[in-house]
Amino acid sequence: MSRCGWHHGLHVLLCLGLLWLAAAGAAAQTQTVRIHAAQALVSDSPDFPAAQSAPLVALPDAWSLSRPGSDGPVWYRLTFTAPGLRENGELLALFIEHVCSNLQVHLNGQLIHSGGRMHEPITRNCNHPQLISLPSGLIGPGLNSLDLKVVGHALQRVASVHRAGALSALVIGPQSVLADRHARQLALNVAVPQALSAMLLLLGSFMFVLGWTRRRESHLGYFGALSVGWALIESRLWLRDLPFDNATAELLLCAVLPLLTWASVQFLLRFAQYRHRGIDIALPLQALVMPATLLLAGPERLYAMASFWYVLLPLQTLAAAGFCLSTQYRAQRPSFWPMALLLCMATLALVAQYAAQIFGIRGLTMQLAQIAAPVTVMLVGLLLLKEQGPAPAAAEDNKAHLESRIREATAEIERNFTQLAELRVEKVTERERKRIAADLHDDLGAKLLTIVHTSDSERISTLAREALEEMRLSVRGLTGKPVRLIDALGDWRAEVVSRLGQAGIEADWSAPAEELPQTLSARAFVQTTRILREAISNVIKHSGATHCSLRCDLADGDMHIVVRDNGNGIPMELDGRLDRGHGMASMKHRAKQLQGQCLVESGPGYGTVIRLTLPLNRATELA
Amino acid sequence: MNSILLLEDLPEIRAWLSSLVVQVFPGAQIAEAARVHDALGLVSAIKFDLALVDLGLPDGSGVDVVAALREHQPETQSVVVTIHDDDEHLFPALQAGAFGYILKEQARELIIEQLQRISQGEPPLSPSIARRVMAYFTAKSKPQPMSASSASIPHVSLTDRETEVLLRVAKGYTLPEIGVQLTLSRHTIADYVKQIYRKLNVSSRAEAALEAQRMGLFGR
Repeated sequence: MSRCGWHHGLHVLLCLGLLWLAAAGAAAQTQTVRIHAAQALVSDSPDFPAAQSAPLVALPDAWSLSRPGSDGPVWYRLTFTAPGLRENGELLALFIEHVCSNLQVHLNGQLIHSGGRMHEPITRNCNHPQLISLPSGLIGPGLNSLDLKVVGHALQRVASVHRAGALSALVIGPQSVLADRHARQLALNVAVPQALSAMLLLLGSFMFVLGWTRRRESHLGYFGALSVGWALIESRLWLRDLPFDNATAELLLCAVLPLLTWASVQFLLRFAQYRHRGIDIALPLQALVMPATLLLAGPERLYAMASFWYVLLPLQTLAAAGFCLSTQYRAQRPSFWPMALLLCMATLALVAQYAAQIFGIRGLTMQLAQIAAPVTVMLVGLLLLKEQGPAPAAAEDNKAHLESRIREATAEIERNFTQLAELRVEKVTERERKRIAADLHDDLGAKLLTIVHTSDSERISTLAREALEEMRLSVRGLTGKPVRLIDALGDWRAEVVSRLGQAGIEADWSAPAEELPQTLSARAFVQTTRILREAISNVIKHSGATHCSLRCDLADGDMHIVVRDNGNGIPMELDGRLDRGHGMASMKHRAKQLQGQCLVESGPGYGTVIRLTLPLNRATELA
Repeated sequence: MNSILLLEDLPEIRAWLSSLVVQVFPGAQIAEAARVHDALGLVSAIKFDLALVDLGLPDGSGVDVVAALREHQPETQSVVVTIHDDDEHLFPALQAGAFGYILKEQARELIIEQLQRISQGEPPLSPSIARRVMAYFTAKSKPQPMSASSASIPHVSLTDRETEVLLRVAKGYTLPEIGVQLTLSRHTIADYVKQIYRKLNVSSRAEAALEAQRMGLFGR
């Protein structure tokens, strides 16, 4: 007796971490009386049937052993004397650890307590310990009789030993002492499982929604279903008065079990990333078959049939757990060890509950198993959440990565588009230039040509010819590609030398002969060609020279061209400027356009020197 | 030069050219045409010794007439008479078989001199055309995948001397200057130039034939 109370305290301390004062229980031991036997009689009479002889039965009294097949009601009578217990005038109480399903208590013939409805549907108090205060006024100085009317169900009509009709040993003692024991029992049997199931309901719903929205994480959904199902089973702790009879209640309770199996097996398989179509079909089917077999077996064989399923269903879950663990082990997933630990815990809890079921053990083992199972489920839930935790972060990273990729791609597309647009513009421009060039040649060119060859005036012919040459150069500047400097020098040499040769002037050309990497833009080439052409024209027309030298050098990024003749030189204007029909202004203007300069030195009898300096880089890139 | 074809669309210029031809080749028969279609008709009817062909014509390009002459009258000397001095316009005509070109706006005396030279087998060659010809043969000499069809086409390539001449023309040296540099006579240099024009034509024709064959026009 004392051992029992002390143990309870210790275990509660261990299991729940609540600081209960075990010493208080120990001090009270001497004042409580445990009753191990009572007169018992099956009768539905409103009072204890004193007329009939009632045999003495030992308590706890399990009806399945003492009166198999009986649904009661059973009247129990016990007698006690109060003096020892009433010494200090304390309130007395009766504590019943387990009575199933319900009871009424009479003290000395007076009804002092009712646990609820005594007829179908009977209030289900199997999990609820009873504490009944014994009114002091009703307790006599001599023998007092305490009558208990217990209603319940035969074992075969319930699915669990714990819900079969039974009455545990009784304890009478000071109410203050027993209240503590009652509170502890109530906490272990009801309050803690209730709290756990409430938490499971929350966690399960959350996980279920999570699994539902993320189809790739279907194991979360099944886990949610498992948690919610568990909470559903535990709802019997909240609902003691059901609106339907025992058979229906038992059937409904049993029908949840294959659903739980379905959820747990699928959770374990999906967690191991395994999916099998047969299993997908078989499990829901089982959830239909199981209640069907119970119905077929009828309420009289409910316990036998349920026992069969009690073996089968946990085995399925165990097999799935084994499979899940082995794949996790092979895949070396980091969640293996915690998962293995939790599944072992769950298995132990399952085995303990199973053993309790078979051997009808009540008490600590049963209570711990009852608490351990939902705790395990919750821990698994937390483990899953921990695994899921990094997922949003990873998704966030992925999203950021994707977004940056998209940004890059967009930028590239925009770049390409711009390039394409530029290309198109260039292409259109090029086409337009060619068209303009063709038009110029066909119209203006033809007309100028006609003037060249039909005009009677030599001056007009020459002007028209020059205009034609200008036009052609302009067109080339308009449409041309960059010209390699070495090629440009070749072209200039050919023109200069042959023109001077035709005019009978000795020509001396010198230019770098090696391979030159520079290029000239079409415009720079054309402008330089014009300047040279003008200079040579001047030599031919005005200088009267017999010799003309032309030197081209490259130095410091500049191109220097010096045209020197031995002619008469250019006569000074009145204002000191060299020009008048010699095109000096246009030569200088063109050189300026190329960011260069054109200097003319001349004196009567000294000939003329034209120094042309063009910045090669500018001429190459710009112009 | 007994029979001369003159293809030019502008009446004044045609008359002017005609007077010029008469001056250079007195007594020659001159057949005038203003359009490609007319010129092609003349080519199929009359045998010409010389053809002066304008390029930009109302109904097409003079290049077609040059090609037709090359095809039907290989002995005829085609000369392009044009307002375009750029190789973009001239090179196709030279590939089609023209022996040189004359720029229309030049002074009468200059054109007369050039015509005389051409008739004596001295076609003109500008640096830019020379560069273009070199680029053409350089690209051709690059190793190409041999096939049965390309093997049957005669491989045309320039001799070292011809290349040397082209190189010097490209650098701006005149033909007489090159003659001095290579210690060759003016006629020999002119022969090289003629040979270069001929090879350009032959190679281009072979290439065109090969291209046509590739496209399945004949040889099935």
